[in-house]
Amino acid sequence: MSPTARDPQLLKGVLPMLVLLLLAEHESYGYELVTRLQADGLDDIAPGTVYPVLTRLEREGLVASRLVPSSSGPARKYYRPTPDGDAELASSLRGWTALSATVRAVVHRAPVPTTEESS
Amino acid sequence: MNAETSRTTGTADTAPRSTNPPARDVVRREWFLTRLSWHLQDHPGREAKQIVRDLRGELTSAAADVGMRQAVRDLGHPLVLAEGYRAHLGRRVPRWTAGAVAAGLAVAFLVYLGFAYAFGTLDTLEALGGGTVTRYPFGAETVFTSGADGIAVESTFTWQGVVIFVLVAAVAFVLGSRAWRALG
Repeated sequence: MSPTARDPQLLKGVLPMLVLLLLAEHESYGYELVTRLQADGLDDIAPGTVYPVLTRLEREGLVASRLVPSSSGPARKYYRPTPDGDAELASSLRGWTALSATVRAVVHRAPVPTTEESS
Repeated sequence: MNAETSRTTGTADTAPRSTNPPARDVVRREWFLTRLSWHLQDHPGREAKQIVRDLRGELTSAAADVGMRQAVRDLGHPLVLAEGYRAHLGRRVPRWTAGAVAAGLAVAFLVYLGFAYAFGTLDTLEALGGGTVTRYPFGAETVFTSGADGIAVESTFTWQGVVIFVLVAAVAFVLGSRAWRALG
């Protein structure tokens, strides 16, 4: 594992929040959302990871979708947050902010072990 | 309004083009979706159909950028993808298709047992020099005959036999489908 490899479990916890955040910026269809996540630094994220999240968010009424005709293929399903999704996003961001502050404080205080590879 | 909508509502030179993917891509996409559908049997039917419908659109969209082979590859193995959807389902649901397969196999096994019993009985009769014997496999009166003229098996229809088949199929279906998951 490379030193910068991401723990999939870490990503799993924040992916719904990231999806809601990106969709709040502007609506996207599934594959476009994947490419936006990749462009934002999650370059190893796969569509197969993102689509189930979109399905769940839609089932829970946190995102709404609409079909938009496309010039380069079949009609695309664009997603955007619902008011419930906006509320969930705000709640998630508060939770993330509190958690990341705690983690940062602990990380800064604790000594970081060095390895052969990194030295 | 996003750019996509603008394009499709624009002038004639930006009108939608023919969008049918090549037959090879369609086969590749549909084969993947068929396998996924099988693995999605844990899902409520309506949602599973919606997932497949959405993925068909997403695959076709992605194929325009990276090709269908890569688009399908990016989704990973259909079993793993289905497990991803299942993990987000938040509950366990029955597997009706697996239950039907289990019931079919159980009934087929009973039929196999019936044939094995019949051929075994006829072989025994032949070894004893022929004759007629009446037995009651699965509760049905069955007459086995073996002689110089050939062999014959005559059986009567009984409710007892039907009940045995139905019972075995039902138990296999319940166990195979995890039907109790439907209760809560």
